[in-house]
Amino acid sequence: MSVAQAGVTPTHVDPMRFQLFWRPFRSDSSSVVDVLPFHREYPALLESCEKMAYLIRSYSVFSMTCASLGHPGGSFSEAEFLAVLYNYVLRYRPEDPSWPMRDVFYLSKCHACPAYYAALALVGYFPVERLKFYGQWGSGLESHPDALVTPGVEISGGSLGQIPGVAVGRALGIRRNGPDHNDRMVYVLLGDGECNEGAVWEAFMAAAHYALDNLTFVIDYNKVQAKGFVHQDMNIEPLADKLRAFGLDVYEVSNGHNVAELVDLFTTLRQHRRGKPVAVVLHTIKGKKVRQCQYNPNWHTSAPRTIEAARAWLRELWEQDGKRLGVPEAFVESLGSAMEIVPPLHPDVEQVVDRQA
Amino acid sequence: MAQFTIPAREATKEMRYQMGYALSDLARENPRIVAVDADLRSSSGLHIFEYFHPDKLIKVGIAEQNLIAVSAGLSQEGYIPFPCTFDAFCRRFMDQLYVTVAYTNLNVKVLGAYAGLFTGKAGATHQSDKELSLLLRIPNLRVIEPGCNLEMAQALRCAAETPGPFYLRIVRCEVEYNELFDGYQFRLGKGVRVIDEGDDVGLVTTGYMIRTGKAAARKLLARGVGVRLDHHPTLKPFDRELLYDMARRVKVILTLENHCTSGGLYSLVAEALATEGMAVRVGAIGTDPEDFIHTGHVNDLLYRYGMTSDHVVEKALALRKRSS
Repeated sequence: MSVAQAGVTPTHVDPMRFQLFWRPFRSDSSSVVDVLPFHREYPALLESCEKMAYLIRSYSVFSMTCASLGHPGGSFSEAEFLAVLYNYVLRYRPEDPSWPMRDVFYLSKCHACPAYYAALALVGYFPVERLKFYGQWGSGLESHPDALVTPGVEISGGSLGQIPGVAVGRALGIRRNGPDHNDRMVYVLLGDGECNEGAVWEAFMAAAHYALDNLTFVIDYNKVQAKGFVHQDMNIEPLADKLRAFGLDVYEVSNGHNVAELVDLFTTLRQHRRGKPVAVVLHTIKGKKVRQCQYNPNWHTSAPRTIEAARAWLRELWEQDGKRLGVPEAFVESLGSAMEIVPPLHPDVEQVVDRQA
Repeated sequence: MAQFTIPAREATKEMRYQMGYALSDLARENPRIVAVDADLRSSSGLHIFEYFHPDKLIKVGIAEQNLIAVSAGLSQEGYIPFPCTFDAFCRRFMDQLYVTVAYTNLNVKVLGAYAGLFTGKAGATHQSDKELSLLLRIPNLRVIEPGCNLEMAQALRCAAETPGPFYLRIVRCEVEYNELFDGYQFRLGKGVRVIDEGDDVGLVTTGYMIRTGKAAARKLLARGVGVRLDHHPTLKPFDRELLYDMARRVKVILTLENHCTSGGLYSLVAEALATEGMAVRVGAIGTDPEDFIHTGHVNDLLYRYGMTSDHVVEKALALRKRSS
């Protein structure tokens, strides 16, 4: 790699060696320890989650740019949630993805997988180098996740509205497994636009009917769906009231990008089982932290058009977060240099013009 | 709890009820088996399962999409769910079956009750004679249509014991215990030669139509027409070898299915023969792909669509005439 060849200069780091400045907060992700605001580790946990969210966004920009493919809006709105989830909430073993005592996380808004793949790579399910080949034939990083080829993905999806019901079945199955599995939790992240799908409400109804308090629905309420604004395309308000009326225990996170709010809520949820399934309405901003994408349906589906544009995104992310969190500037430059649009495996004999995104 | 009449096991030949008993037997042996119901249990036969295993019947209400999604989740915790609703309603969960179950290759065994024309006058919305067109094109999915109660029980066991997604079409009407021969054993992906008495006409049957095929064969043989009859309980994967063996010997082939004549058995046979360049004329017995099957007594439906054994005889003779 060019970075290595260039030798050790302060302006270059291997952009795949994020371990130089970030590691998962827990040394052992198969167990959880509650971290409360008065604990000594609390500030370090928050910083670690923020840094992970920064890395999720940066590596998402990297993979989407290399692939000329992706969903930046939904990937950026869920970044802090995924960071807190994998860094603090979930129990899992990346070296043994089917470890039977793991907590289950389903990404139901499957299109937002660039961030998901970045999170899985950061915690060790597969090397981050693989992110470069997102969307490439045979890479194992499908445009919408395929559980049979990507370690850490619990179910294949891409057709919205189906996975909340799967989560209901999973939570029921865990309960049937008996007391040994009693504290295993199921989390599922839905899109707000996804709540237009009727099947989502079938799942909410069934979850409440079976009083599945080992199940948490999290709704990434970023107010923007694929081609417009949620309140204009198909309004889901009053969302929290609807969820309550369906029999769910509803919590609202006023700023889904505030890791402290997320850490505190999920600590509470872990400590209290109230005999009801939980719904968390996560108020977020679509495209958060890249000004061009924020609250803009144009960036639901779209990768940065050029390497230069992507480098500007990376820099924007660093200026906001990387810099204050102590990520060396050289990382941004190196990651930017490592980006290249990955060509198809076969030459363009037919002169096809079919741009992704 | 609502109580539904449960027919005694010996007193009923209806496949739906025998399915309820057979699944109950399997669940006694294998504690991981559960059934999932979308509010049709006393019609589908699952009420029998519920009687014997009340704690193993999971109800999702009238929600077919959730029926399959919840089953998918259960299978991920090591259960072997048998979701069951009317075969026609697979139209309502086809995407769940395609994406969630088949794409992830989950261990879900779907039971499509009231397959084909036998719905007890339920009409166009409940008759399921077009569904195979999609079901047979879903990767990883195995599709079985048993023709008698013995075969149904064996196919259920096979589905329970073989990892991966299955779809079984179960008829509502009475069928024989054994349409095949003593000691018959269902084998996944294998057809079976049932009658081998001549090479004038080859009848290829699946599911309920083995009964019609056998009756037609008797009539043809009585008229001096040689018949071979192959039964294909597994539609996916389809036993092409057995078909090729038949096609090498007989003069014409007639397919018989409790489904329309496009996208199902007829299409499987025609595609397979075309692939091998086998020039055998193939006729089809089944419903019209362009029709909604309106309400009527099943006798009238079978007449309307030319699906009785007399129709089979007539069509077989006409086919033979054209090919000679």
